[in-house]
Amino acid sequence: MMEELANIPWAIIAPLIGVQIILVIVALIDLSKIHATNGPKILWVLIILFINLLGPIAYFIVGRKQS
Amino acid sequence: MSGMNVLLQKEFREAWRSRKFLWIPLVFALLGMSEPLTNYYMMDILEAVGNMPEGFEMLMPELVPADLLLATISQFQLIGLLVLMASFVGAISKERSNGTATLLYVRPISFGSFFISKFIVISAVGFVSIVAGFAASVYYTVVLYGTFEVGTLLASIGTYFIWVLFVLALTLMMSAAFKTTVAATAAFIIIFIGQIIDGLVGTFWTISPWKLPLYGVQLIRGTMEMSDYWWSLVMTVVLICVCMSIGVFSMKKNASSTKI
Repeated sequence: MMEELANIPWAIIAPLIGVQIILVIVALIDLSKIHATNGPKILWVLIILFINLLGPIAYFIVGRKQS
Repeated sequence: MSGMNVLLQKEFREAWRSRKFLWIPLVFALLGMSEPLTNYYMMDILEAVGNMPEGFEMLMPELVPADLLLATISQFQLIGLLVLMASFVGAISKERSNGTATLLYVRPISFGSFFISKFIVISAVGFVSIVAGFAASVYYTVVLYGTFEVGTLLASIGTYFIWVLFVLALTLMMSAAFKTTVAATAAFIIIFIGQIIDGLVGTFWTISPWKLPLYGVQLIRGTMEMSDYWWSLVMTVVLICVCMSIGVFSMKKNASSTKI
């Protein structure tokens, strides 16, 4: 198990994971504060959590309702 | 410039509240990461996707770091600019149509400082974005391929930033001059059709703002005709100033079309 973990090229994967996590956290914080979204909120939670990388971006572009 | 500080604060707060300062740079970073990665792992990706004929062999071109930077820039040119322009094309026209502008225009603020405060904030977002994008791309290129010279790399990023400034100035000018939909269409047509035209028949001229991103990469390669470069740069800066003055002018003209 530890060997497999050590074999993963972390220099390559770590930044990707980092960006993904930041995006998810920012999107979720924003979602929890925003008054209303385009479409049901729970749907956006699922999209943000389960669609890698593109989910949070889609939320920021389409989901936020500009007042 | 009366009230410039206040206006700047307002714009920064708005950009921050709408999370534009966070997600646009992250999108650029993702775009920057994708190019070196997909190029490096192209063989593995093809094998994983499968469906290759028996004994199929493909000769991959030997890529140097500058090639990857060019590929990254072409990603920015389409998706990156689309995101930037789409999120800022409403900067002025939306304020007019939803009535925020009435609160601002009745105050003794010059339209010049109003326009410039918007432009500064938008270019700050653009700057952070392309720095994030280039940083991601350069990081992966250095890890997977090879190193850059720092001086020419910075020059290349600077050149690309000037181009992005031009795009943003044009977007803001359109936003000041037209309604949001018209502004978006006009700005998209000028930037993207311009790119296509430049790609098709661009060999006939060497001086144009649309060539700047390519010239930035040629600086790294060291194959740049410097006089062409400087003239394009000067032309772009002049065009930015022209866009800004037209923007201020049409903002003044359209102030009466604000919804009350």
